[in-house]
Parts: sequence; C-alpha cells; structure tokens
Amino acid sequence: MMSDAKRSDATLPANPPQRALTLHRELTAVWTDLPGWRGALASVNHTTIGLRFMATAGVFFAIGGVLSMLIRAQLATPRGAFLDTALYNQIFTMHGSIMMFLFAIPMLEGLALWLLPKILGARDMAFPRLSALGYWCYLFGGTIILMSLLAGVAPDGGWFMYTPLSDKTYTPGINADVWLLGITFVEISAVAAAVEITITILRCRSAHMPLSRMPLMGWYMLGTSVMMLVGFPPLILGSILLEVERAFDWPFFDVARGGDPLLWQHLFWLFGHPEVYIIFLPAAGALSTIIPVMSRTTILGYGAVVAAVLGLVFLSFGLWVHHMFTVGIPHMALAFFSAASALVAVPTAVQVFAWIGTIWKGRPQLKLPMLYVLGFFLTFVMGGLTGVMLAIVPFNWQAHDTAFVTAHLHYVLIGGFVFPMMAALTYWMPLICGRARVPKLGEAAFWLILIGFHGTFFIMHLTGLLGMPRRIDVYPDNPEWVLPNLVSSIFSMVLAMGFALFVFDMGMQWFFGARSRRNPWQAPTLDWAMTLPAPAYNFASLPGPGRDDAAAAVMLARGEGILPGAPRGWRETLVVESGSGRPDHVAVLPGNTMLPLATAAVIGSFFMLMLAGAYWLTPVAIMAIVLVVWRWGAVMGSGRDHALVDAAPGLALPLHWQVRGTLAYSGAVATLVADGSLYACLLFGVGFLSVVAPGWPAPDSDLSGALPAVLVAVALGAMSMGSIAARLAEAGRATDLARRRALLGVIAGAVALAAMTGLALLLDDPTRHARDALRGVLLGFAVVHGVIAALLALRTHADARDGRMGASRRGAAPVWRLWQDFALATTAVSALLVAAQEVL
Amino acid sequence: MRWVAGMLAGPVLWAVLFAAVYALHGIGCARGWTGVATPLGSLHIVAMAGVWLAGLALHVGILATAPMGPAREARLYRMGAWIGLVASALTLLPVLLTSTCG
Repeated sequence: MMSDAKRSDATLPANPPQRALTLHRELTAVWTDLPGWRGALASVNHTTIGLRFMATAGVFFAIGGVLSMLIRAQLATPRGAFLDTALYNQIFTMHGSIMMFLFAIPMLEGLALWLLPKILGARDMAFPRLSALGYWCYLFGGTIILMSLLAGVAPDGGWFMYTPLSDKTYTPGINADVWLLGITFVEISAVAAAVEITITILRCRSAHMPLSRMPLMGWYMLGTSVMMLVGFPPLILGSILLEVERAFDWPFFDVARGGDPLLWQHLFWLFGHPEVYIIFLPAAGALSTIIPVMSRTTILGYGAVVAAVLGLVFLSFGLWVHHMFTVGIPHMALAFFSAASALVAVPTAVQVFAWIGTIWKGRPQLKLPMLYVLGFFLTFVMGGLTGVMLAIVPFNWQAHDTAFVTAHLHYVLIGGFVFPMMAALTYWMPLICGRARVPKLGEAAFWLILIGFHGTFFIMHLTGLLGMPRRIDVYPDNPEWVLPNLVSSIFSMVLAMGFALFVFDMGMQWFFGARSRRNPWQAPTLDWAMTLPAPAYNFASLPGPGRDDAAAAVMLARGEGILPGAPRGWRETLVVESGSGRPDHVAVLPGNTMLPLATAAVIGSFFMLMLAGAYWLTPVAIMAIVLVVWRWGAVMGSGRDHALVDAAPGLALPLHWQVRGTLAYSGAVATLVADGSLYACLLFGVGFLSVVAPGWPAPDSDLSGALPAVLVAVALGAMSMGSIAARLAEAGRATDLARRRALLGVIAGAVALAAMTGLALLLDDPTRHARDALRGVLLGFAVVHGVIAALLALRTHADARDGRMGASRRGAAPVWRLWQDFALATTAVSALLVAAQEVL
Repeated sequence: MRWVAGMLAGPVLWAVLFAAVYALHGIGCARGWTGVATPLGSLHIVAMAGVWLAGLALHVGILATAPMGPAREARLYRMGAWIGLVASALTLLPVLLTSTCG
C-alpha cells in the first residue's frame, strides 16, 4: 500500500545516518514533560495534552452516561417516582450539555491534538501553549458545570437553553448562568483548538507534502477546524447576549422591548447544526484512515471524498432553520432550508459509497476496529435516513419535539461519532500505550453496545411516532407508550454494560497487554513511522520526499530526515508553505510552562465572579488576564539574529524569529476569522431584530446630534492613525523609529478609547429597547478591539525597546497591524450601521 | 494555491447567494414588497430571482473558467465549482416555486 502523501515530485537529499539511541536521548531531554507534579501542570506537549483531552472527555462521557441511565430508570414506568420533575429537568439538560460540549467536542479536539502532528509529520502542534490553555479552560469550565449539579443548581432549560424559558423571569436562579458562562468558558478551548488545528494542518506538514496529497484525515480535520472557527462564534455571541440580558436587563430577547426569542434560536442553531458535522467530520476522517488499512487497499475516490468534505463544510451552514420549522416561518424560507437539508445527504452518501467501495475492492479483515466501522455503517445510515425524513417539512411538523427526534439524533451522534471514535481508539491504542489488546473482550463489548444501542433507540422512533414528547418525566395517561419505554430502558442497561466493558478492555490493554510490535496494522501513514508508544518528539528527524510513509520509520529514527535531533537544545519543527508544502522556516516551539494554567485560572476567576454576580470585581479579573497574557508575549521573540539552520543537505532555513509569515501570524489570521464570524453574527442580530422583531421602530434616539458624530470621527481617525503607525513601525524595525512609531500607536489607541468612552456616555439607556442594547454591544465590541490593538502597540513598543526587533526581526508589529486594521474596519462598519439607522 | 481559491469559489458564492436571498426574503416580507408590482411580477420575487439568476450566471462563469485535465488539483477545482452551482440551483429554486410570505 502507498500513502496518499507519498507522491511528491520534489527531492531532498538525506542527512547522514546517526545512532538512533543518541538522537532519542537528545530529543527526549528537550521534549519530555517535567517529572512529577510539575509535569502534570506544565506540560504543553501535544501527545500529553491530546491524551488528557480524550481521557477527560471519557470521564465526562461516563458521567453523561450515568445521567442517561437515571433518565431511562425514570421513564421505565409511566409514573416513575425515581426523580422529581425539577431534578429530571436538570438531569436531561446536563446529559445533553455534557455529551455535546464536554464529551464530543473535547474528544475530537483531543484526537486532533494527539494525532495530527504524527500523521502529518511534525513534532508538535503549531501552538503548544494554546493546546494546554484549551485543556485547562475545558477542565475548569466543565468542572464548574458539573459542580452545579452536585449543588442542585444545574442548568434545567434543555441543552439548547431556549428563551424565554432561560431568561431571568422563568429561570431566576443561577441555573442558566451556569450554562451560559460555563459553556462559554469551555468554548474558549474549542476556538483555541480550531486555530491550532487549522494552522497545524496548513503549515506544519512534512516537507513537500502538498495539500492535495495530504492524508484524508488532514482534510477532515481542516474542514472541522474551519467550521469551528465560523460555527462557534454564533453560540458565544448568543451566550454573551443572553447573559447580559440576565445580568443587566438589556432586552435582546424580550419581545416587549424590541427583542425576539427567535434571535436566540437562530444564533444557537447557526452553531448547533454545523456542530453535528463538526462532530461527524473527524469521525469520518478516522473511518477514511482505518477502512483502507483494514481492507488492505487504498481509499477509493480521494478527490470525491475531499469534495464531499468541502460540500459538507459549506452546506451544513445552510440547514440551521430546519430545527425551527415549527416556529412559524414563511413557506419559502422553509423550502430553502428543507432543500438544503435534503441536499446535504448527497456528500454524506458520497463518503459512505467511497468507504463501501474501498471495502469492496480490498481484502477486508474483520478485526476489532472494523467491527466498529460496520457498527457505524448500520447505525449512521439509519440516522441519516431519518434525518432526510425530518428534513421534509410536513413530516417534521408531525415529529417535532417527539421521541422520534431523540432517536434520530442518537443514531446520528452515536452512529456518526461514538462508533467511529471507538474504532479509532481500538485502532490507535497500540500507538498510545505500546501494547496489544487482550483478545475477545473488545468483541464482547462491541456486541453489547450494538445490541444495547439499537434495542434502546430503534424502538424510540416508534415511541415518538406514537406521540410521546421529549423531556417529559411521567406519562400516566398514555398506556401505549409503556412497553416501548420499558424496552428502551432495559436495553439501555445492556448498552451501559457494553461501554463499561469497553473501558475495562482499554484498561486491560494499557496495563496488562503484551508489548505491541511496530505498525501492527501494516498501515502506510506516518503516524506509524515511530516507536511504540509514540515518543514525545514523534520523529527523530522529520519526514520529507522519499521518506514520507510508515516504511521510513528506521531512516527517520536514524536522523536521515529533516532537522535531525535537537542540536541547539530547542523544540524545533518544520514550517511549510501552506499549499505546496515547500519548506519555509524552522519554528522554535515553547517548552514546559505553567503560563497556560495560570491564564486559564485567571480567565476562570472572571467567569466565577460573573456567576457570583460580583460584577464590580470583574475589572480586577480582567486586569489579571491582561497581565498574564502579557507574559505570553514577553517570553516570545529573540534579541539577536540567528544563522540559517541546516535542515538537510542543500536546505538551509531561517528560524521563525526572522520571517514575517510565522505560525503566530497565521494563527492571528485564523483568530480574526472567528472574530469576524462573531461580528457578522452581531450584524445579523441587528438586521434580524430590525426587520422581524415586533416592537420596532425603536423610540427616538439622543445619538443624532453633532457631538456623537464628532466623537465617532475622532475614534475612527485615531484608529486610522494606529494602522499607519503599525505599518511605519514594521517598516522602521531596524532603527529607533520603530519604538517611537509604536508609541504613536499607543497614543492613538488611547485617543480612540477616550472618544469611545465619550460615546458610551451618550448612548441611550440600553435597557430601554433592543436597538439601544445592540448599540451598546457594538460599542463594546469596538472598545474591546481598541484595547487589544493598543496593547499590541505597547507590545511592539516593548519589543523595539528590548531589542526583539531588527533588520529581519519584526516583533509583534505584523500581528498588531493585522488586528488594528480589523478593529478599524469593524468599528467603521458599526458607525455606518448606526448612522444608517438614524438616517433611515 | 490558485486551485484552492478556485475550489472554494463555488461554495463561497453559494453561501453569499443563500444569505442574500434569505435576507431579501425577510426584508421583503417585512416591508411589503409582495404588494409592489413590477413588469416582471412582484418586487419581492423579482429581487430574489434577480439575485439568484445573477448568481447562477457567476457560477457558470466559475465552472467555465475551471482548468481542465486529470490533475487532482484541477479536478478538485471543478468539483468545487459543481458543488456551488448545484447547491445554488437547488436550495434557492423555491424562489420560483412557493408562496413568499405565507
């Protein structure tokens, strides 16, 4: 078998072979985690962080599973007295929230963090500290949410937290605040992972691995991460708006004051439906990796699969309204989204047929990962078909909010994510722990899970068609629902036993399995071109043309690839040009540090203060966040020029401090994509409420005088000056001018912020009407971006002062410029929007 | 990287068209465009159909300028163009088929 990556026309001479053990020791000294508790807190290595993500997600899966058992126990009989209604509401809300936000997404993040550098031929992810920050935010946020359950104040409004049920009137306690703040805290980790994954795939592949030849897992994860960049901001924005409404009475969702609960539904499902594909795509990536190996052939239709991923990424953003078919939307809009919902089945089917064709043309082996693959086929295809049923409006109206939908979503999510992830875990377990599995246990677990799952959920379709709504805790007047519910409850216990046996099997393999031989599946991909378990540095020398598949393991271990060893004592990895894979420069990655932990802790303190209602103390937490984040920049950069690094014979590359297109710059671009998505959703909110919400037009505004116009002009002028200063500072980096120009940028930023403060004082009372509240948010968005731009100017000033800028070293100037331009553009658009509202 | 931009062009155009027509639909219903007559029909339908058809023409343009040949990059470019064209044609077809604001 040949990997898809192994087809590059480029050549690169090999480095002379060295003693593998010497290289291993040299690299281990540089890349390994610190010993003891410091290692637990300070690790930034992708293998450690990825495994932590997956293990923690597994724990949350178990907790969510226990909650589902409580639900099934309650529903086993029509008058279940196992849980009271209030607790039942908390439990089904927590079950959904945990499974979506604390299991599925972190699990895929963990798989991506752990696997991508290995399968793409890098030593680590692009931003190791960001990986660690994401993990700590996830752990802290998840723990806050979980603790609320123990305290009896868990969210209880359903996992999609609809208003007005979740507003202050109907949820006066902190239950909804826990969800809004806790989930937003966790989403920091998702956006961090999205930036990380996107840039790693685009820039940290092996030398001369073009985008069009990278392993399919790369395409799937790239699609996932881009969807996360665009898809999570709507939820973050919605959560911010709802929390601000709950905390400060700004009426975004209050019909009486120009708001509309449907805005929440739009923002939630703008995230929520792409979320299904965010979860599915990595799982499909695992399938596209595993199926050819298990079938001893290559994937059928690489190009068609890539096109299918492309189609899914885009089309999945055109389906969100199918979750809102019953809210009273005009027929034409229903038809748009119904057609898109039916159409999305096509790229999904292309992949399914590609996988079936791959099995057909190969010589499949029914090993344990393949069993889970077959479980996926059976389950996911059924879930997909009921999805097409639900895409049809008349059927949707009948089945909406019934157990049929519950059955459908479990078929899609367990079929499309859990089965493939179990295939992935059993497939990559030898690489994780270095051991072979104990025979037969895994097969028994599979059959229990398969039978338990279909026994539980297949009949649930019927329960739904018999009219049983979701989320009810008793049904004393509906004897026709008793038997199917009892059957579901009995089989759910079988399912739970299957999952428990799966975990036991994993534990047995980890602790008692025989040592696995290298590449036990005879896979072609680079993830198997290393010793088992995978070392902290992955590759003693990095792959390149002619040494870009699992068969190159020995050559890479002997240092014949690129950048052998760690001769400078740094964590070095190769950065390539994103399309062609041409080597561009060498990045020096950060080592072990507790900075991510400290940053997550201060961010957590902000969320905890918000949750406690101590809003007056939050500025202290914000200052602490600024101070800690400042430290991130302070330990970057270099105070001197460095010689080119001899990566391979004839290949001398600069270090990242001396190039403009660094990983950090690419990461800033990706961050702005997410930021732009959030801003676009804010504009959508303004447009939606202006056009659709009752309670408009809004009352007359006091913003129509000359003073607001002058202040806006001053703010925009100062921000424009900041943009010019950023360009000049970068251009004059070799001279003392850079410091003065950066200082000019700081002053311009301060003037802009002062003007915006003046504007804030002139705003109409934001509790009066949704329009006024949205103007407050638009101004808040501008202020936050203005503050960050000013801080980046200050960072550039410090870089120039401390010698981190020079003829080829630019410090933070390129990122400052990027951010400054974005802040200017969005502020100008906001100003135009408000002006248009006043004029029209 | 030109092929990546080309591959993305069709789906991006679909996203723009979908958002634009959906926005026009909402604005038209709110502002009563269905009651405004034009020689080609109600202003609402004309506005949405005009944007849709113009978009389809652009899609055809993307497809017509796609590189030919068996190279994987060229094929991905063409597949992206087809995805955009088919998605725009089908998902916005209701502009001509259903009632607007009912």
